[in-house]
Amino acid sequence: MATRVIDSRDTVPAVAADGRRRWFRGQAFWLVAPALLLLVICLGLPLAIVTLRSFSEPQWGWQNYAWFFGTPVNLTVLQRTFAISAWVTLVCLIAGYPYAYVMTAVGPKMRLILILCVLVPFWVSGVVRTLAWVILLQDSGVINSVIKAVGLSPVKLIRTQTGVVIGMAQVLLPFMILPLYSVMKTIDLRLMQAARSLGASPARAFAQVYLPLSLPGVYAGAIIVFILALGFYITPALLGGPRSTMLSTLIQNQVLSLLNWGRGGAMGVVLLIATFVLLALAAPLSRQPHKTGSRR
Amino acid sequence: MKTKIGQAAALGLLMITTAALAQSKPVAGEVAEGSLKGKTLTFVSYGGIYQDGQIAALKEFVDKSGVTLLSDGPTEISKLQAQVESGNVTWDVVDTGDFPPYVYCGKLFQKLDFSKIDTSNIPEGQISECSVPAMNYGVVLMYNTEKYKDNPPKSWKDFFDIEKFPGSRALEGSGDLSGGMIEQALLAAGGSVENMTVADIDKAIEKVRSLGPDTIFWKTGADSQQLAESGEADMIAMWTGRAMTAVKNGAKYTPAWQDWLVVMDQMTIPIGVKDPDAAHALINAYLGKSAQETLAKTTSYTPIHKDAKPEVDEITAAFMTNTPDKLKLGYQQNIKFWVENFEVANEKWNALMAGN
Repeated sequence: MATRVIDSRDTVPAVAADGRRRWFRGQAFWLVAPALLLLVICLGLPLAIVTLRSFSEPQWGWQNYAWFFGTPVNLTVLQRTFAISAWVTLVCLIAGYPYAYVMTAVGPKMRLILILCVLVPFWVSGVVRTLAWVILLQDSGVINSVIKAVGLSPVKLIRTQTGVVIGMAQVLLPFMILPLYSVMKTIDLRLMQAARSLGASPARAFAQVYLPLSLPGVYAGAIIVFILALGFYITPALLGGPRSTMLSTLIQNQVLSLLNWGRGGAMGVVLLIATFVLLALAAPLSRQPHKTGSRR
Repeated sequence: MKTKIGQAAALGLLMITTAALAQSKPVAGEVAEGSLKGKTLTFVSYGGIYQDGQIAALKEFVDKSGVTLLSDGPTEISKLQAQVESGNVTWDVVDTGDFPPYVYCGKLFQKLDFSKIDTSNIPEGQISECSVPAMNYGVVLMYNTEKYKDNPPKSWKDFFDIEKFPGSRALEGSGDLSGGMIEQALLAAGGSVENMTVADIDKAIEKVRSLGPDTIFWKTGADSQQLAESGEADMIAMWTGRAMTAVKNGAKYTPAWQDWLVVMDQMTIPIGVKDPDAAHALINAYLGKSAQETLAKTTSYTPIHKDAKPEVDEITAAFMTNTPDKLKLGYQQNIKFWVENFEVANEKWNALMAGN
């Protein structure tokens, strides 16, 4: 009897809580519904249509994919697109990592200034920024004028892959810095002090304590930058030459100039699948720090 | 009673014949007063100074006919295709590049009714079944006068001769097929443009490739202008409008007019527009003498009315392509060949553009 009373006391609130949770779950769905709807309508549906058309035009079959893999220029450009994106990711990481670290280490006022420096370029149109790079990078541009003034031989920057990587890295840098910063600011800097007090050199303390803890930010930033870089269009078009043409330019050409939606669609699908494969390959890497962390 | 009927009949007959006459003999630039009141037309072009100038040229037409003229753009054939396929065409008159009206005639663009358009003042050989020219311009060889002081290049042959004329080259790489340029490259490679074949395209592209790895393919007109103003390339194949602006801005470049490539924009009417008659009326008005003069004055492009005499400054006049001496030197591409081989030619040209 007594146990029953206890039981009922126990279960009644539990049922209520469960009910509330279920109620909340129902409400939660409606909270995400607008975003979900937007994604389905603006992303899912067009993607499905593009995929469909890559198989259905001009007739049903694999012809567009056969064309893609049977045309050397497509494969060259696909490979180049991934290579350029990887370089951009690396440059962003090298430039962004120390920057994000400094953001966590300075006072609030300085931090605000640093955040502004990252965000202000966001408010300037990408075309304007890219044209500014044209002026800086061209043969008679600012950078080469300085190089010539100090007596060195000028370097070819514009219409080269180097120029494209520099321009893209500048545009994409905030996407690296912000995730890095959001992870780094949660790292307790006293852990570094602890490592130092236990006899680790600064380099070792960084490599074994700080770096592993910051890796989630590195992966998040790298993935965002890499994926955004894959689809870049304006920057490579304006800063690059023929040998830095990226896949988006070829897609644009098929669709806009030749009205070849099938081939354009196939190129998009290939790029998408290649990206997924690469992410799947990179996924185990991002789980690494947790394992090593728990082992130690 | 009888006479009254007779008078009415005579009057009616007179009205019908006048109307018929008016219809059978349209005059470029003219439109009946208030004839399009309450109607709306959407004109689509490439934006910027160019479209502003076109709208300015159409002001008289708008004022007189009472039409509401909307402006949209930039022209994208893929967008037009989407409209035609979905049966909801909102673009009434579309300004396109050289080839689309030939490639998509009867598919995206309707065959024009030339009883409604006065084409008598358009330069020879520029009218197709689905289009009339929107304006004329050219691709002209511009060379750096400081680089080639005493021995300037005179033709595209010199442009493609890297041994006799060392230096860097720039040509159009906007993605559109440049048939005229490929033909000139073929001629420079010792080929013939008579009975061209697809293999000749490869030969021509090989010639372009022989210009070396430093060859610049500019993407936009502004891009080419920047190249001239900063002196980045020694010879540049440029649109005449951009060449003029560069010279005005102090670029030390001079044109070699031999075989300048004749290019035009096209005026078209998509299939499925709600009021084809109104669209035809717009084109007919656009072709008028004073409309063309306004266009030339505001955009510096060459008018396509033979008698148009726009008042322009000296440099602009120097780059107008409709003077008799320049018309004599102009080179017309083999549109038929490029339309027939549109896809394969594009593929080959774009492979070059993509560094392959």
